[in-house]
Parts: sequence; C-alpha cells; structure tokens
Amino acid sequence: MADMIQILVLGLALGGVYALMGSGLSLVFGVMRIVNLAHPSLVMVGAYIAYWAFRLGGVDPMVILPVALVILAATGVLLYKLVFEREARSAKYSEMTVLLTFALAMVVEGALGTAFTNTQRVTSPDYATDAFFIGSVFIPKGQLYSGIVSLTIISALALFLKYSAFGNAIRATTQNRDAAELLGVNVNLVGLVSFAIGIGLAGAAGALVSFVFSFFPAKHWEWIAILMSLVVLGGMGSILGTVLAAFILSIVAAYVGFFFGATWSTLTFFVALFVVLLVRPQGLFGEKPELA
Amino acid sequence: MSALLQVSNVTAGYGDGPAILNGASVKVEPGKVHCIIGPNGAGKSTLLKAIVGMLRIREGDVTFKGESVKGLRPDQVLRKGICFVPQERALFPKMTVRENLRMGGYSMRDKVDLERRIDEIEARFPILKERRDQHAGTLSGGQQQTLSMARTMILRPEIVMLDEPSLGLAPKIVAEIFDIMRVMTEDGITILLVEQNALMGLKHADWGVVLDLGRTLFEGPGQEILNDPRIQELYLGGRKAA
Ligand SMILES: Nc1ncnc2c1ncn2[C@@H]1O[C@H](COP(=O)(O)OP(=O)(O)OP(=O)(O)O)[C@@H](O)[C@H]1O
Ligand SMILES: [Mg+2]
Repeated sequence: MADMIQILVLGLALGGVYALMGSGLSLVFGVMRIVNLAHPSLVMVGAYIAYWAFRLGGVDPMVILPVALVILAATGVLLYKLVFEREARSAKYSEMTVLLTFALAMVVEGALGTAFTNTQRVTSPDYATDAFFIGSVFIPKGQLYSGIVSLTIISALALFLKYSAFGNAIRATTQNRDAAELLGVNVNLVGLVSFAIGIGLAGAAGALVSFVFSFFPAKHWEWIAILMSLVVLGGMGSILGTVLAAFILSIVAAYVGFFFGATWSTLTFFVALFVVLLVRPQGLFGEKPELA
Repeated sequence: MSALLQVSNVTAGYGDGPAILNGASVKVEPGKVHCIIGPNGAGKSTLLKAIVGMLRIREGDVTFKGESVKGLRPDQVLRKGICFVPQERALFPKMTVRENLRMGGYSMRDKVDLERRIDEIEARFPILKERRDQHAGTLSGGQQQTLSMARTMILRPEIVMLDEPSLGLAPKIVAEIFDIMRVMTEDGITILLVEQNALMGLKHADWGVVLDLGRTLFEGPGQEILNDPRIQELYLGGRKAA
C-alpha cells in the first residue's frame, strides 16, 4: 500500500513539469494552428541556460527561471517575425509549419551539440537530491518544487487568459479567428504574443527540467513524443485538457514503470497517443479535430 | 436621400481565385431594412465579406457616409460603425455568454462603459442574463443568433449586416429573430440582411436587392420585388417547394 502511494506521489510530482511544457505547446497550437515540433528543443535551451548559470555562477535554477523565460520569449518574438508571420498567409500554413518546426528543432539540437557537446548534464542544487518524508513515503524536493512552480505558472497563465482583456482576445482567437478579427481583435498581434508566451514557457520549463532530468541535446526527440501525447489526449489547443492529461499520463506511467520496468513507463505515452487518436481523436476537451 | 452605404460595381474574389462578385451594387439608406436575395452561390455572403474588408475589392468602390472604406481591415470598418454577423454566427463556443458580449465591445476603450452597456443588453434580452455564465456553445440555435445580434448592439453601430440569421431555425424562432431586427431599427440601426428565405426576408424589408452570379440583377421596394414575376419564376417558385 505504501508503495502504491509512493508511486502516486512520484507520478504527481512529474506531472507538473510535463504540464508546463505541454501548456506552452498547446497555447501555440490553439492560437496559430502550429504544431511546434521545436518546442522541446527550446525547453532544452532553457535547461542549458539554467545549467550554465549554475555551473558558472552557482545560481539556483529557480532563480534563473524568469531569465530563461524572458530570453526564450524574446526568441519567440524573433522566430515569429522572421519565420511564422510570413508563412501565415500561405494556404498550406499548417503543413508548412510542421516542416519548418521540424527543421528548427534540428537546427537547435545541432547548435546545442556544437556549443555544449553531447554529454549528459544535470543541474544539481542541494534540493535536487533531497527529499521530504511523510511516514515512509518520500517526496523528492526537486520534483516537488518543480511541480509547485509549474502549477503556479500555469495558474497565472490561466488567470491571465480568463480575466484580462487581452487574454480573452487570445481565447477568442483560438475558438474563432475570423469572429475575433471581426470584433476588432488584432489577430496577428495575438499570434505574436501567444507564440512568445508559449516559447517563454518552454524556457521556464527548461530551467525546472534541468534539475529533474538529466539531459543532452538530442533528448528533445523523446519529449516531443511525450508532449504530443499530452496535447492530443487533452484535446489539441485545450490548456486545461493538456494539464489534466499530463497528470493522468505521468501517474499511469509511474505505475507502469513500477510493475513492468522503466522502459515500459515511457511507452505509456506513446500507446496513449496511439489509442486516443484511434478512439477519441478530439481528446478529453477538444473540438472535432481538423488534424489527425 | 443620400446613401449611408453605397456599394458600386464591386468586383472581388477569394485570394487569387476567380472573381465571385462581378459588378455588385447596393445602395443602403439610413434607418431602413434592406434584404439581399439570390440563389445558392450567388455571392451574397461574399458581398458582405467584401464590404467589411475580409476580402480584397478588385474593382469598384464601397463608400460609407461618402467616404471610401475600400481597403480597410475588418477592425477598421467596425470602428466606422458597421457590424457584421456572418452566416456562422461568429460566437466563441467555449466562452460564456457574458464573455461573448464583452468581446463585442473589445474595440471600446472605456471598459466601465462597456460593462454598463452589457448590463443594458442583458436587461433587454433576459435570456442572455439568465444564461450569462453558460458557454455560448451550449445555447440553442435561436439563443445563439440572439446573442450574435445583441452583441452587435453593444457598439451602437450605424449599420448591422446579418447573413442568413434565420438559417436552421424553427419558424417560431425565426419570428423572434425578426422581432429583434425590429428592435434594432427602432434604435436607429440600419439593417442589411441576406436571406435565403426570400419570402420571409422581403416581407420584412423596405428595400430588396436581387443578386445572381455576383451581380445585382435588379432592386426595388420589398413588396414590389416580392410580387415581381421575374422573382416568382427565378427564385421563389423553387424555394417555396423546398
Ligand atoms: N472561402 C472561399 N474560398 C473560395 N471560394 C469561395 C469561398 N467562399 C465561397 N466561395 C465561392 O464563392 C461563390 C459564392 O459564395 P457565397 O458564399 O458568397 O454565396 P451565397 O450567395 O452566400 O450562397 P448561400 O446562399 O449558399 O450562402 C460560391 O461559388 C462559392 O463556392
Ligand atoms: Mg451565404
């Protein structure tokens, strides 16, 4: 019994970071219909920023998190202006962006490999190897903190989307782009801001990831598959759905890992992706999909 | 009387595609209800989209109060005082009724005034008040159309363009929709209506315009168009049976 609770706790703790990575991806998809395959490679950039800040200056990754967020958000603005805005007029926008983001992921991976080599890295602040105990159940501090910070950021995003005028414009654009434009929403600006926020969240997630997982430049390929499964199960473009999916799947993966071994744990996400696409392609909260 | 909105010989199409409008003209007089009729694919929706700048006008001109609005973006046309409710009703299905109304006033600076106007609208359309926290997507077709139309009134526009507001609604609900239209005209709003149901549309219209193959065939007072033998033959005959 204690084992079962222990696994639940570990699954929950990991769910937070996945949720944060997934919500950025989901936001960008919702507003711009871009399946950003480069999202996890940009998470990786955030992780390297945190890693080097820690290595060189001993800066806590959670302190560097806002910096990573801002740097990546600025990168997002540049990418949007240079690449995605121009493509937005193309009729084959969605298809084009799959290729573009795929290429971008490769470029980022190559650049990281060249700059930082392919060595496995992990940021190791004290709490990363420490744990709380409640009875016999232990809660790794690193995972707990990353989960709390993730949920805090996601909550801030949710409040912004629900209660600010611009946040409402973002949701409106997601749900009905033409209608939003007819009501005076500058949908191009909405695209730019959402993209910047989405990529900024990738940077923030990277800072957290840096002490939760060990990483190397090519690791993002594994994550894209995991993130796709979250976003698809949640319902493409639904942030709440993505967050729920992140918790559901990471808990299931934790149990699968316990009973069948770690290799099978990752497989949970891929099987979920496959099954959802076959059985309920709109996911938990999505509309009938245009994709899939 | 000088026209409030004048569409003159407009040619337009989607992207680089063929011209869908080929010399469409409409004259909109202040305070009146105008109804554009025409068969499927005549270009009625396309004409409204061209007026609000959702697609580029290739030739001809659109003037509002004597000033050209050709080449303006939809949000700029909106700010001039022309609201458009497209055929798809243009709601945000996963936002609440109240949030949908708020989006109607997105272009307003004064958000306090906006909230006040929304309260007014809720007072006039009690169903919207009753359903204020419900997602728009959960409303019935008639309620959705009511919300779309009520939402335009927040901006106190001069012209409201409605694309087939009665589409897919039961006759009793259609009557309610036309009642809302009457309320709008009482508020001094000029209406440009597109109706598939020509009988219904023309009956409520001061002025009728017949569009086919992207051009204006003829126009005249609603009753006259209704009784015009060409119409009887061309459109109403088949439509009645349908
Ligand atoms: N988004 C689009 N892209 C390309 N062509 C379009 C588009 N929308 C409509 N068309 C074409 O333009 C023509 C006119 O369509 P439009 O929707 O304006 O007709 P309509 O008079 O409103 O018809 P209905 O009564 O069916 O609503 C049709 O031939 C249609 O195929
Ligand atoms: Mg139409």
